Amino acid sequence: MFHFFKKAKKANTQSKPQKNNDPIRSSLKHNTEHIKQLFSYGTNKDFSYRDLIAKYNQKEMSLFYYSSIVNGDKIYEAIIRPLLEAEGNELKNVVTVESLTEIKDFDEVIEHINSGKAILFQEGTAIAFSIDVAQFQFRSIGKAENESAIKGPQEAFTESLNVNISLVRKRVHDKQLITESKQVGKRSKSEVNFLYVSDLVNDDILNNLKKRLDEINTDSVRNVELLEQYIEERPYSIFPSIHYTERPDKAASYLEDGYIIILMDNSAACLVVPVTFWSFFHAQEDRYLRFLYGNFTRAIRLFAFYLTTMISATYVGITNFHSEMLPPDLLLAITASRERVPFPLIFEVLIMEVAFELIREAGIRIPNPLGPTIGIVGALILGQAAVEANIISPIIVIVAAVSGLTSFAIADVSINFTVRITRFIFIAAAGTYGMFGLAGAFLVWFMYAASLKSFGVPFFSPLAPYFKSPGDTVFRKAIKNEIWRPGNLLPKDLRKKRDSTSK
Amino acid sequence: MKRMICISLLLMFLTGCYDKVELEQQSYNVAIGVDQTDKEGTYEFTFQITNPEVGTTSGGGSDEEPNETVTTNGSDILTAMNTVNSFVSKRMTLDHTKVIVISEELARSGDFLQIIQAASRTTQIRRATQIVVSKESAAEFLNNIKPKMETRTHKYFQYMITRATQTGIIPDASVHRFFQITEGDADLFLAIYATNEHEEKKGEGYEDQYVAGEIPQEGGSDTQFMGSAVFKEGKMIDTLDGQDTRIAHVLDYTLDMDELLSTYPDPIRPEYRVAADYIQKTPAEVEIQYNKNKPTKIDVTVSFQIEVLAIPSLVNYSQNSAHQELLRKAIITDLESKANKLIKKTQEEYGSDPFYWSLFIRDQFIDVPAYEEADWNKKIYPNADITVSFNLKRLAFGKMLNDTNLSEVRD
Amino acid sequence: MKDYKTLTTREMFALVTLLVGIKFADTTPALLAQKGQNAFWMIPIISFLIIFPSFLLLIYLLKRYKDKNLVELLEKVLGRFFGKSLGFLLFILAYATLIFDSRNYVEQIKLLYYPQSPTLIISIVFMAVIFFCAKRGFEVIGFTSWIGLPLIKFAVFLLAALIFKEAVWNRIFPIFGSGVQVIVMEGVKNSSIFLEFFLLTIAYTAFKDTKFFRRGSYFGGLFVIFEIILFFLLYTVIFDYNSIDKIAFPFHEITQYINFGDYFTNIETFFMVFWLFAGFMRFIILLYLITWIFGAVFNINEFEPLLFPFAFLALMIGVIPENAIVNELIIRDLLLDISTPLFVLFPFILWIVALCKGELKKT
Repeated sequence: MFHFFKKAKKANTQSKPQKNNDPIRSSLKHNTEHIKQLFSYGTNKDFSYRDLIAKYNQKEMSLFYYSSIVNGDKIYEAIIRPLLEAEGNELKNVVTVESLTEIKDFDEVIEHINSGKAILFQEGTAIAFSIDVAQFQFRSIGKAENESAIKGPQEAFTESLNVNISLVRKRVHDKQLITESKQVGKRSKSEVNFLYVSDLVNDDILNNLKKRLDEINTDSVRNVELLEQYIEERPYSIFPSIHYTERPDKAASYLEDGYIIILMDNSAACLVVPVTFWSFFHAQEDRYLRFLYGNFTRAIRLFAFYLTTMISATYVGITNFHSEMLPPDLLLAITASRERVPFPLIFEVLIMEVAFELIREAGIRIPNPLGPTIGIVGALILGQAAVEANIISPIIVIVAAVSGLTSFAIADVSINFTVRITRFIFIAAAGTYGMFGLAGAFLVWFMYAASLKSFGVPFFSPLAPYFKSPGDTVFRKAIKNEIWRPGNLLPKDLRKKRDSTSK
Repeated sequence: MKRMICISLLLMFLTGCYDKVELEQQSYNVAIGVDQTDKEGTYEFTFQITNPEVGTTSGGGSDEEPNETVTTNGSDILTAMNTVNSFVSKRMTLDHTKVIVISEELARSGDFLQIIQAASRTTQIRRATQIVVSKESAAEFLNNIKPKMETRTHKYFQYMITRATQTGIIPDASVHRFFQITEGDADLFLAIYATNEHEEKKGEGYEDQYVAGEIPQEGGSDTQFMGSAVFKEGKMIDTLDGQDTRIAHVLDYTLDMDELLSTYPDPIRPEYRVAADYIQKTPAEVEIQYNKNKPTKIDVTVSFQIEVLAIPSLVNYSQNSAHQELLRKAIITDLESKANKLIKKTQEEYGSDPFYWSLFIRDQFIDVPAYEEADWNKKIYPNADITVSFNLKRLAFGKMLNDTNLSEVRD
Repeated sequence: MKDYKTLTTREMFALVTLLVGIKFADTTPALLAQKGQNAFWMIPIISFLIIFPSFLLLIYLLKRYKDKNLVELLEKVLGRFFGKSLGFLLFILAYATLIFDSRNYVEQIKLLYYPQSPTLIISIVFMAVIFFCAKRGFEVIGFTSWIGLPLIKFAVFLLAALIFKEAVWNRIFPIFGSGVQVIVMEGVKNSSIFLEFFLLTIAYTAFKDTKFFRRGSYFGGLFVIFEIILFFLLYTVIFDYNSIDKIAFPFHEITQYINFGDYFTNIETFFMVFWLFAGFMRFIILLYLITWIFGAVFNINEFEPLLFPFAFLALMIGVIPENAIVNELIIRDLLLDISTPLFVLFPFILWIVALCKGELKKT
């Protein structure tokens, strides 16, 4: 199936934007003119420039920046004022900013201005100075809304790369934590940062990731949500192969296990690679809760997983093909409630499942103030009214509600879709051949999942194939007994617990 | 690859639905009745179908009958099921059948074996289905079952049979057991005996010395389940009353019984009886010594406990050890005499045993041909020398130390 | 990441258990009970004793010749032509087993759960599932077996526990059933019920280390024989000798009989699901191994595309026999009788040839 992807890639023709490899000249006038033309000065409202004569060497200078993405106070305090007032022999001794880079050509000039730097040209010098005064606007750090936890840190990533890195570094005090970056996008260049602990990470995985980042051939990749789709192996697969989380504490714990996390500006989340089924199944809170409580949640979630994928399909399969299996009273109750329903049972189930999906989709898209209405309308129309109108039988409402509600126990966005799509596949299978069809469909589905690899790591490892690991798969061990890192990643340092005497 | 997936998916959608049946297109049969007709090879089948709408809150159907009982002729159950469809609107399923009722008349004719064998070819009749022999015709029996408390008959059968089996007055008579014993060609099979027809027994009977129909009863449902029908080689030969059925439970280690409340003669004041709970923790121990040419010796030891429940005679058994000894003896003698009476009857009249004792002689044969040659039913059991000994392990008196002396109260 | 072999003892254990262990739940007991009566549970012990030395010998040879799978070993020892011919013969027999066994399973599904459906349609669905799963490769089959094994075995032992109270243990007597001679003869003749052990050796080199293969097959073998005997015994003590030979599918008969309390009286579908999983897994493994043998015999390295024609062919031939009874009691019985001597003897032939060639001397 994935050869489609390859084909699509080849078809992507090499249309790069024109290059501005002109070197910077020593004539200020020329430079100024050139840059004004490049940025359409005058039309482009927020592109600003300022001429001045520096006091320390009495030379003419020009400063260019986007007023919307720089800190105006800083420009005044750290650049203009020192240049106008301070004495000194060299530029770097005059301006009071923390970073000052020399750049040589206009290509770089454009890039720097776009990323919120101020560019200073000086009469008679063939280089420009880039001064970091960027101030992009972003949301302040908020609560993790989609992956909420009762016990545990509440901070979430926000749409700023630096803040996000700071959130991670705050948690991982390891000098080997490397933040490497790569530029993606041909027209609008964005920086992709990937973080890893260099003496843990498996270099094969790291190189694989770098290769995939290099292979991205597109005009722009704005955020990690889009990046995810550029670097994944199987774009048509029903299973996700990259993990997406908004919790810095989760990211930190992945880092410490030898995973790589990917951050970008403009995304309040990070990507984690490689991934296994368990990363989707776990919630970070499982680890914050005590051993027994954490495992209890896991058990509940496993059950929810089963219910949400299977209950509707099982119901269809059993009632349509294996009615002998139902206890007589239940059988009679269902039969009685179906006496006046005009549709076949599978149709009833599908009506309810689709209705539930509709409510769900509408609930996400609905403007906030209208939010509460959707619940009432949905429950009212779909539940009571449909039953009273004899369109569906009351038991279906229970089945659909259980299968819908349990799907919320699966927090991860991607796997949530997997599960919801799977549910419909299973209903179809059960509707055609009862439990035989369902068992067959499940097996094909499961073996497909087992054959997946994310960056070379099998989807169900470390359970099968077996690897030394913290034992954190379906259930987890007591934290004190976790000795190994996940061996399925082949980390450089497998042992997690240093002290071998304590047992 | 992709095309293939599509094709096979399409195929699956096209082909499914062969065995798909909507629930409301089926009717659920809870009991099957079989009767004889005048014609050989044709039987009268009665099906009791529950009405799903009775007893639910979903409205409608509240004034309908809780079940529909239909009767038709046919040569076997499955074809009769199809015939029934000429006047029953839905496809009938037997998956939830709880009981198969056969009339005593049919049972005695010996045709039952063929009928039930034909039925066991389908997966629909479960091996746990109970076999009930009715004194009247099965159609009549099923038509007259009017449970007072349970709305649905399947519940009624389930509760009734479970409870009555616990007390030991009716045997566990599953189809499975019927096949094991009948095909094993040794021992006797006991089926549940039940009836709606009451005919009170003359003379006096104690609490379990009845067969169905004889129990004095007022109020409640007319149907009585009591005692058992004895089948030899698939043919009914006699009935046993509740007491004998209980004895069979006691002596047969494959049958379980939870509760056996019974009365025993009071040794000191014979006009009264002592009520007691018979508790048997371990199954009867059967030891068989097979002798090829002379009678086989069968020793049966039953260890049991007695908890005395009521002593209407007010004799002080609990504290007087001499009296206690008398009571012990009386109970043991009573049980032994009942057991011996039953065994004698089975040896002489039936020529086989309802206790499944043939199991215990099997380990003395090396292979099946040798065992079959020895012939339990014809040669071994009728001539066997059987001793039954009851061994009272514990005699307890409940939570009361002594009864109030009546004369003191009335003083 | 580089490809690395990941299969270990546990996967091998699961493969053996699923491939051989499901025999107690198909018609094998009915086949054996025809002659063995209530002592038929002893037949697998004898078969096992007959076939296990051969298997051990084969394993020994594989170990000596390091890093060769079954067909490579045959070629190395017997030379190219004879090696390939023997390999092909093994393939034919194994493929015949696949065909008739799969028909047998389809027939069980049809008779017990889908009486209205045509055999062909059920066969198609069955084979389609097997094909799509087998396509995923041997490693995935291994993982799935290992993950699925606990569930399947849980269901099986739950069944054993539920049925236990119905068991009447005296029914194993008379101890030798229809006679010692019959039992021994049947045991010898039907040794090939364990022939799957030999097929697995094609995967000898697919494991992380060949010692995992050996260890897995020993543990798996022991577990399987224990399981089979346990269930055969249970059938004996539940059905007794007069009924056991009349029942075609004792496993299903048991699942229909038991109940889980008063409320769940008909729970056979629950067990049927796990039985289906086990059945699917068995044929997935079998199909893959057989195609692998074929690929090895004809030097086809990329043998996975062959899975489809083989599955299709098996489907087509499988539907030919008229009914299940013919298929089971005549063809399958015959097949077992034919393949037994071959499977029992060929490791010895190999060993003798290797010995004569002097290749087994200590190096």
